[in-house]
Amino acid sequence: MENKELVLENTLVQALQEGFTRLEATVKRKARVEAKIDKDILPSLLLFAKEKLGYNHLSHIGCVDWIEDGLFEIVYILWHPTEKINLLIKASTERENAIMPNIDYIWRQANTYEREMREMFGIEFPGLVGRKDFILEDWQDIPPMRRDFDTEKYVNEHFFNRPGREDAKDVREQVAKRSGEDIPEFAKKYSRK
Amino acid sequence: MINDKNSQGIVDIIAEYARKQSLFIMAYGTGCGAIEIPPTLTSRYDAERLGIRGAATPRQADVLLITGYLATKSLKRVIRVYEQMQAPKYVIGFGSCTINGGMYWDSYNTINLLDKYIPVDVYINGCMPRPEAVIAGFEKLKELIQSGNALGWKKYEDNLEEYRENQKKVIVNWQMPDYNW
Ligand code: SF4
Repeated sequence: MENKELVLENTLVQALQEGFTRLEATVKRKARVEAKIDKDILPSLLLFAKEKLGYNHLSHIGCVDWIEDGLFEIVYILWHPTEKINLLIKASTERENAIMPNIDYIWRQANTYEREMREMFGIEFPGLVGRKDFILEDWQDIPPMRRDFDTEKYVNEHFFNRPGREDAKDVREQVAKRSGEDIPEFAKKYSRK
Repeated sequence: MINDKNSQGIVDIIAEYARKQSLFIMAYGTGCGAIEIPPTLTSRYDAERLGIRGAATPRQADVLLITGYLATKSLKRVIRVYEQMQAPKYVIGFGSCTINGGMYWDSYNTINLLDKYIPVDVYINGCMPRPEAVIAGFEKLKELIQSGNALGWKKYEDNLEEYRENQKKVIVNWQMPDYNW
Protein backbone atom coordinates (compact mmCIF):
# COMPACT_ATOMS: atom_id res chain seq x y z
CA MET A 1 0.00 0.00 0.00
CA GLU A 2 1.33 3.44 -0.91
CA ASN A 3 1.78 5.56 2.15
CA LYS A 4 3.76 8.48 0.82
CA GLU A 5 1.73 11.20 2.47
CA LEU A 6 1.96 9.62 5.91
CA VAL A 7 -1.81 9.20 5.86
CA LEU A 8 -1.91 6.44 8.41
CA GLU A 9 0.42 8.30 10.73
CA ASN A 10 -1.57 11.50 10.56
CA THR A 11 -4.84 9.66 11.19
CA LEU A 12 -3.27 8.10 14.23
CA VAL A 13 -2.16 11.46 15.58
CA GLN A 14 -5.67 12.77 15.05
CA ALA A 15 -7.24 9.79 16.77
CA LEU A 16 -4.93 10.19 19.75
CA GLN A 17 -5.61 13.90 20.06
CA GLU A 18 -9.34 13.37 19.84
CA GLY A 19 -9.25 10.77 22.58
CA PHE A 20 -7.01 12.67 24.97
CA THR A 21 -6.77 16.38 25.55
CA ARG A 22 -3.51 16.64 27.49
CA LEU A 23 -1.42 14.86 24.93
CA GLU A 24 1.23 15.94 22.44
CA ALA A 25 1.46 13.72 19.39
CA THR A 26 3.82 14.15 16.47
CA VAL A 27 4.78 12.18 13.42
CA LYS A 28 8.51 11.54 13.69
CA ARG A 29 8.94 9.92 10.34
CA LYS A 30 7.39 7.17 8.26
CA ALA A 31 6.04 4.44 10.53
CA ARG A 32 6.99 6.28 13.70
CA VAL A 33 4.64 8.34 15.81
CA GLU A 34 5.46 9.78 19.19
CA ALA A 35 3.06 10.78 21.94
CA LYS A 36 3.85 12.44 25.25
CA ILE A 37 1.43 12.16 28.10
CA ASP A 38 1.07 12.63 31.82
CA LYS A 39 1.93 9.52 33.76
CA ASP A 40 -1.48 9.46 35.50
CA ILE A 41 -3.38 8.97 32.26
CA LEU A 42 -0.77 6.65 30.82
CA PRO A 43 -2.61 3.36 31.53
CA SER A 44 -5.78 4.59 29.88
CA LEU A 45 -3.83 5.74 26.83
CA LEU A 46 -2.12 2.37 26.57
CA LEU A 47 -5.46 0.59 26.93
CA PHE A 48 -6.97 2.89 24.31
CA ALA A 49 -4.10 2.19 21.92
CA LYS A 50 -4.36 -1.53 22.50
CA GLU A 51 -8.13 -2.03 22.42
CA LYS A 52 -9.33 0.74 20.11
CA LEU A 53 -6.44 1.46 17.77
CA GLY A 54 -5.09 -2.06 17.43
CA TYR A 55 -1.60 -1.52 18.80
CA ASN A 56 -1.70 -4.85 20.52
CA HIS A 57 2.00 -5.59 20.62
CA LEU A 58 4.27 -4.09 23.27
CA SER A 59 7.75 -4.25 21.74
CA HIS A 60 9.78 -2.61 24.42
CA ILE A 61 9.87 -0.38 27.44
CA GLY A 62 12.87 1.85 27.86
CA CYS A 63 13.95 4.26 30.53
CA VAL A 64 15.99 7.41 29.98
CA ASP A 65 17.68 9.20 32.85
CA TRP A 66 17.43 12.96 32.28
CA ILE A 67 19.54 13.84 35.25
CA GLU A 68 19.80 17.51 34.21
CA ASP A 69 16.02 17.91 34.35
CA GLY A 70 15.60 15.62 37.34
CA LEU A 71 13.38 13.26 35.36
CA PHE A 72 13.11 9.65 34.32
CA GLU A 73 11.43 9.28 30.95
CA ILE A 74 9.79 5.94 30.29
CA VAL A 75 9.19 5.05 26.66
CA TYR A 76 6.63 2.43 25.73
CA ILE A 77 7.06 1.20 22.19
CA LEU A 78 3.93 -0.28 20.65
CA TRP A 79 3.55 -1.94 17.28
CA HIS A 80 0.59 -2.24 14.97
CA PRO A 81 0.92 -5.59 13.18
CA THR A 82 -1.14 -4.70 10.10
CA GLU A 83 -0.58 -0.97 9.71
CA LYS A 84 3.11 -1.49 10.55
CA ILE A 85 3.52 1.62 12.66
CA ASN A 86 5.56 2.09 15.80
CA LEU A 87 3.87 4.19 18.42
CA LEU A 88 6.19 5.60 21.04
CA ILE A 89 4.43 6.70 24.20
CA LYS A 90 6.51 8.73 26.59
CA ALA A 91 5.77 9.63 30.17
CA SER A 92 8.10 11.02 32.77
CA THR A 93 8.42 10.96 36.51
CA GLU A 94 10.53 12.77 39.07
CA ARG A 95 13.90 11.20 39.77
CA GLU A 96 13.46 11.47 43.51
CA ASN A 97 10.97 8.86 44.77
CA ALA A 98 10.18 7.85 41.21
CA ILE A 99 6.82 6.16 40.88
CA MET A 100 5.19 4.95 37.69
CA PRO A 101 1.85 3.21 37.19
CA ASN A 102 2.12 -0.53 36.87
CA ILE A 103 0.78 -1.73 33.52
CA ASP A 104 1.45 -5.45 33.64
CA TYR A 105 -2.29 -6.19 33.57
CA ILE A 106 -2.37 -4.73 30.05
CA TRP A 107 0.64 -6.66 28.74
CA ARG A 108 2.00 -9.40 30.96
CA GLN A 109 5.51 -9.06 29.55
CA ALA A 110 5.67 -5.54 31.00
CA ASN A 111 6.26 -7.21 34.35
CA THR A 112 9.79 -8.18 33.37
CA TYR A 113 10.65 -4.69 32.15
CA GLU A 114 9.22 -3.12 35.25
CA ARG A 115 11.13 -5.37 37.58
CA GLU A 116 14.30 -4.54 35.73
CA MET A 117 13.60 -0.81 35.90
CA ARG A 118 12.86 -1.11 39.60
CA GLU A 119 16.23 -2.73 40.12
CA MET A 120 18.37 -0.75 37.70
CA PHE A 121 16.85 2.72 38.14
CA GLY A 122 15.02 2.46 41.43
CA ILE A 123 11.59 3.30 39.99
CA GLU A 124 8.70 1.96 42.05
CA PHE A 125 5.68 0.39 40.37
CA PRO A 126 2.91 0.06 42.96
CA GLY A 127 1.33 -3.37 42.82
CA LEU A 128 4.18 -5.00 40.96
CA VAL A 129 4.55 -8.67 41.81
CA GLY A 130 7.97 -10.32 41.87
CA ARG A 131 11.04 -10.59 44.04
CA LYS A 132 13.01 -7.41 44.59
CA ASP A 133 16.27 -9.10 43.51
CA PHE A 134 15.98 -9.65 39.80
CA ILE A 135 19.32 -9.62 37.99
CA LEU A 136 21.63 -8.25 40.63
CA GLU A 137 22.35 -10.18 43.77
CA ASP A 138 23.04 -8.55 47.13
CA TRP A 139 23.19 -5.09 45.61
CA GLN A 140 23.83 -2.43 48.25
CA ASP A 141 24.69 0.71 46.29
CA ILE A 142 22.38 3.08 44.44
CA PRO A 143 20.75 1.48 41.37
CA PRO A 144 23.58 1.05 38.87
CA MET A 145 21.92 2.39 35.74
CA ARG A 146 21.30 5.80 37.25
CA ARG A 147 23.64 8.32 35.75
CA ASP A 148 24.85 9.52 39.14
CA PHE A 149 26.23 6.05 39.85
CA ASP A 150 30.00 6.23 39.35
CA THR A 151 31.01 2.91 37.83
CA GLU A 152 34.72 3.52 37.85
CA LYS A 153 34.75 4.50 41.50
CA TYR A 154 32.69 1.46 42.39
CA VAL A 155 35.04 -0.83 40.47
CA ASN A 156 38.11 0.66 42.14
CA GLU A 157 36.57 0.15 45.53
CA HIS A 158 35.32 -3.39 45.03
CA PHE A 159 37.57 -5.15 42.55
CA PHE A 160 41.28 -5.47 41.93
CA ASN A 161 43.24 -3.92 39.11
CA ARG A 162 46.18 -5.55 37.50
CA PRO A 163 49.24 -3.32 37.63
CA GLY A 164 51.09 -2.65 34.41
CA ARG A 165 49.75 -1.21 31.21
CA GLU A 166 50.94 2.25 32.36
CA ASP A 167 52.60 2.63 28.99
CA ALA A 168 49.26 2.16 27.25
CA LYS A 169 48.53 5.10 25.03
CA ASP A 170 45.35 7.08 24.85
CA VAL A 171 43.74 6.26 21.53
CA ARG A 172 42.21 9.68 21.01
CA GLU A 173 45.50 11.46 21.60
CA GLN A 174 47.36 9.16 19.26
CA VAL A 175 44.83 9.66 16.49
CA ALA A 176 44.83 13.41 17.05
CA LYS A 177 48.61 13.52 16.90
CA ARG A 178 48.74 11.49 13.73
CA SER A 179 46.04 13.43 11.90
CA GLY A 180 47.09 16.82 13.28
CA GLU A 181 43.56 17.61 14.50
CA ASP A 182 42.46 18.82 17.90
CA ILE A 183 40.46 16.67 20.27
CA PRO A 184 36.95 18.15 20.46
CA GLU A 185 36.03 19.70 23.80
CA PHE A 186 33.30 17.23 24.67
CA ALA A 187 35.60 14.25 24.14
CA LYS A 188 38.38 15.48 26.41
CA LYS A 189 36.81 14.20 29.57
CA TYR A 190 37.02 10.64 28.26
CA SER A 191 40.78 10.76 27.79
CA ARG A 192 43.08 8.56 29.79
CA LYS A 193 44.18 10.29 32.97
CA MET B 1 66.96 -37.10 35.86
CA ILE B 2 64.97 -37.87 38.97
CA ASN B 3 67.23 -35.72 41.06
CA ASP B 4 66.65 -32.44 39.24
CA LYS B 5 62.93 -32.85 39.71
CA ASN B 6 63.66 -33.09 43.36
CA SER B 7 60.10 -32.78 44.62
CA GLN B 8 58.82 -35.51 42.34
CA GLY B 9 59.40 -39.13 43.09
CA ILE B 10 59.23 -41.80 40.44
CA VAL B 11 55.64 -42.58 41.36
CA ASP B 12 54.70 -38.95 40.97
CA ILE B 13 56.25 -38.80 37.55
CA ILE B 14 54.25 -41.78 36.43
CA ALA B 15 51.08 -40.49 38.03
CA GLU B 16 51.47 -37.03 36.47
CA TYR B 17 52.19 -38.61 33.12
CA ALA B 18 48.95 -40.53 33.35
CA ARG B 19 47.03 -37.52 34.63
CA LYS B 20 47.96 -35.23 31.78
CA GLN B 21 46.73 -37.73 29.20
CA SER B 22 43.14 -37.36 30.25
CA LEU B 23 41.77 -33.97 31.17
CA PHE B 24 38.06 -33.68 31.78
CA ILE B 25 36.64 -30.17 31.47
CA MET B 26 33.85 -29.10 33.73
CA ALA B 27 31.01 -28.07 31.43
CA TYR B 28 30.37 -24.61 32.83
CA GLY B 29 30.64 -21.50 30.71
CA THR B 30 30.56 -18.04 32.19
CA GLY B 31 31.29 -15.48 29.47
CA CYS B 32 31.09 -15.15 25.71
CA GLY B 33 34.27 -17.22 25.29
CA ALA B 34 32.28 -20.37 26.04
CA ILE B 35 31.19 -20.35 22.41
CA GLU B 36 34.69 -21.48 21.37
CA ILE B 37 34.44 -24.64 23.45
CA PRO B 38 32.02 -26.61 21.22
CA PRO B 39 34.25 -26.31 18.10
CA THR B 40 37.27 -27.19 20.20
CA LEU B 41 35.69 -30.36 21.47
CA THR B 42 33.85 -31.48 18.36
CA SER B 43 34.92 -32.78 14.99
CA ARG B 44 36.59 -29.65 13.62
CA TYR B 45 39.39 -29.37 16.18
CA ASP B 46 38.61 -32.61 17.99
CA ALA B 47 40.38 -32.01 21.28
CA GLU B 48 39.51 -35.52 22.36
CA ARG B 49 42.39 -36.87 20.30
CA LEU B 50 44.60 -34.93 22.72
CA GLY B 51 42.88 -36.36 25.75
CA ILE B 52 40.65 -33.37 26.47
CA ARG B 53 36.94 -33.83 26.84
CA GLY B 54 33.91 -32.63 28.74
CA ALA B 55 32.58 -33.82 32.05
CA ALA B 56 29.11 -33.30 33.38
CA THR B 57 29.66 -32.71 37.08
CA PRO B 58 32.34 -31.11 39.23
CA ARG B 59 33.18 -34.37 40.96
CA GLN B 60 34.15 -35.95 37.66
CA ALA B 61 36.12 -33.03 36.27
CA ASP B 62 39.81 -32.15 36.38
CA VAL B 63 39.82 -28.77 34.71
CA LEU B 64 37.64 -25.77 35.38
CA LEU B 65 37.57 -23.41 32.42
CA ILE B 66 36.54 -19.88 33.26
CA THR B 67 35.47 -18.81 29.81
CA GLY B 68 35.60 -15.05 30.01
CA TYR B 69 34.02 -12.40 32.17
CA LEU B 70 32.80 -13.57 35.50
CA ALA B 71 29.79 -11.81 36.98
CA THR B 72 29.80 -11.46 40.73
CA LYS B 73 26.71 -13.61 40.69
CA SER B 74 28.49 -16.42 38.83
CA LEU B 75 31.54 -16.13 41.06
CA LYS B 76 29.50 -17.63 43.86
CA ARG B 77 28.66 -20.64 41.69
CA VAL B 78 32.22 -20.93 40.42
CA ILE B 79 33.56 -21.12 43.95
CA ARG B 80 31.01 -23.79 44.81
CA VAL B 81 31.96 -25.76 41.72
CA TYR B 82 35.68 -25.37 42.24
CA GLU B 83 35.56 -26.52 45.82
CA GLN B 84 33.53 -29.56 44.91
CA MET B 85 36.06 -30.74 42.37
CA GLN B 86 38.47 -33.36 43.56
CA ALA B 87 42.16 -32.60 43.76
CA PRO B 88 44.29 -32.52 41.72
CA LYS B 89 42.29 -29.89 39.87
CA TYR B 90 43.32 -27.18 37.49
CA VAL B 91 41.88 -23.84 36.46
CA ILE B 92 42.33 -22.21 33.09
CA GLY B 93 41.49 -18.53 32.73
CA PHE B 94 40.18 -17.99 29.26
CA GLY B 95 40.22 -14.61 27.51
CA SER B 96 41.36 -11.16 28.56
CA CYS B 97 38.37 -10.67 30.84
CA THR B 98 39.82 -13.14 33.31
CA ILE B 99 43.28 -11.60 33.09
CA ASN B 100 42.59 -7.91 33.66
CA GLY B 101 38.90 -7.38 33.16
CA GLY B 102 39.15 -7.05 29.39
CA MET B 103 36.57 -4.76 27.90
CA TYR B 104 34.43 -5.17 31.01
CA TRP B 105 37.11 -3.77 33.29
CA ASP B 106 34.85 -0.96 34.50
CA SER B 107 31.65 -2.96 34.81
CA TYR B 108 29.97 -2.87 38.19
CA ASN B 109 29.25 -6.55 38.27
CA THR B 110 32.16 -8.40 36.75
CA ILE B 111 35.34 -9.18 38.62
CA ASN B 112 38.64 -8.15 37.08
CA LEU B 113 41.40 -10.43 38.33
CA LEU B 114 40.38 -14.03 38.45
CA ASP B 115 43.47 -15.21 40.33
CA LYS B 116 42.50 -13.17 43.37
CA TYR B 117 39.49 -15.40 43.88
CA ILE B 118 40.56 -18.84 42.71
CA PRO B 119 44.05 -20.03 41.76
CA VAL B 120 44.69 -20.05 38.03
CA ASP B 121 47.21 -22.42 36.46
CA VAL B 122 47.15 -21.22 32.89
CA TYR B 123 45.82 -18.08 31.26
CA ILE B 124 44.91 -18.06 27.59
CA ASN B 125 44.80 -14.56 26.20
CA GLY B 126 42.68 -13.28 23.38
CA CYS B 127 39.22 -11.86 23.09
CA MET B 128 38.13 -14.51 22.46
CA PRO B 129 40.91 -17.10 22.03
CA ARG B 130 40.45 -19.34 19.03
CA PRO B 131 40.37 -23.12 19.40
CA GLU B 132 44.03 -23.34 18.38
CA ALA B 133 44.89 -21.06 21.28
CA VAL B 134 42.73 -23.10 23.60
CA ILE B 135 44.52 -26.26 22.58
CA ALA B 136 47.88 -24.51 23.02
CA GLY B 137 46.76 -23.52 26.50
CA PHE B 138 45.95 -27.12 27.30
CA GLU B 139 49.34 -28.22 26.00
CA LYS B 140 50.90 -25.71 28.38
CA LEU B 141 48.82 -27.10 31.21
CA LYS B 142 50.00 -30.60 30.34
CA GLU B 143 53.61 -29.43 30.52
CA LEU B 144 52.98 -27.91 33.92
CA ILE B 145 51.31 -31.07 35.13
CA GLN B 146 54.15 -33.23 33.93
CA SER B 147 56.74 -31.05 35.63
CA GLY B 148 54.73 -31.00 38.84
CA ASN B 149 54.06 -27.25 38.69
CA ALA B 150 50.31 -27.14 38.25
CA LEU B 151 49.74 -26.75 41.95
CA GLY B 152 46.96 -24.18 42.07
CA TRP B 153 44.81 -26.45 44.20
CA LYS B 154 47.54 -26.71 46.84
CA LYS B 155 47.95 -22.98 46.82
CA TYR B 156 44.23 -22.65 47.39
CA GLU B 157 44.28 -24.96 50.38
CA ASP B 158 47.28 -23.21 51.86
CA ASN B 159 45.97 -19.70 51.36
CA LEU B 160 42.31 -20.40 51.87
CA GLU B 161 41.87 -17.51 54.29
CA GLU B 162 43.27 -14.96 51.89
CA TYR B 163 41.10 -16.24 49.05
CA ARG B 164 38.04 -16.24 51.29
CA GLU B 165 38.67 -12.67 52.28
CA ASN B 166 38.77 -11.59 48.64
CA GLN B 167 35.72 -13.67 47.80
CA LYS B 168 33.71 -12.25 50.66
CA LYS B 169 34.57 -8.76 49.52
CA VAL B 170 32.50 -9.43 46.42
CA ILE B 171 29.93 -11.86 47.77
CA VAL B 172 28.41 -9.76 50.51
CA ASN B 173 25.75 -12.20 51.54
CA TRP B 174 27.84 -15.28 52.19
CA GLN B 175 25.48 -18.18 52.71
CA MET B 176 27.79 -21.03 51.81
CA PRO B 177 29.61 -23.37 54.15
CA ASP B 178 33.05 -22.02 54.92
CA TYR B 179 34.77 -25.09 53.69
CA ASN B 180 32.99 -27.18 51.16
CA TRP B 181 35.02 -29.99 49.87
S1 SF4 C 1 37.65 -11.80 26.76
FE1 SF4 C 1 36.35 -11.04 25.10
S2 SF4 C 1 35.32 -12.88 24.31
FE2 SF4 C 1 36.11 -13.36 26.35
S3 SF4 C 1 34.43 -12.95 27.77
FE3 SF4 C 1 35.71 -11.11 27.66
S4 SF4 C 1 34.73 -9.85 26.09
FE4 SF4 C 1 33.96 -11.92 25.83
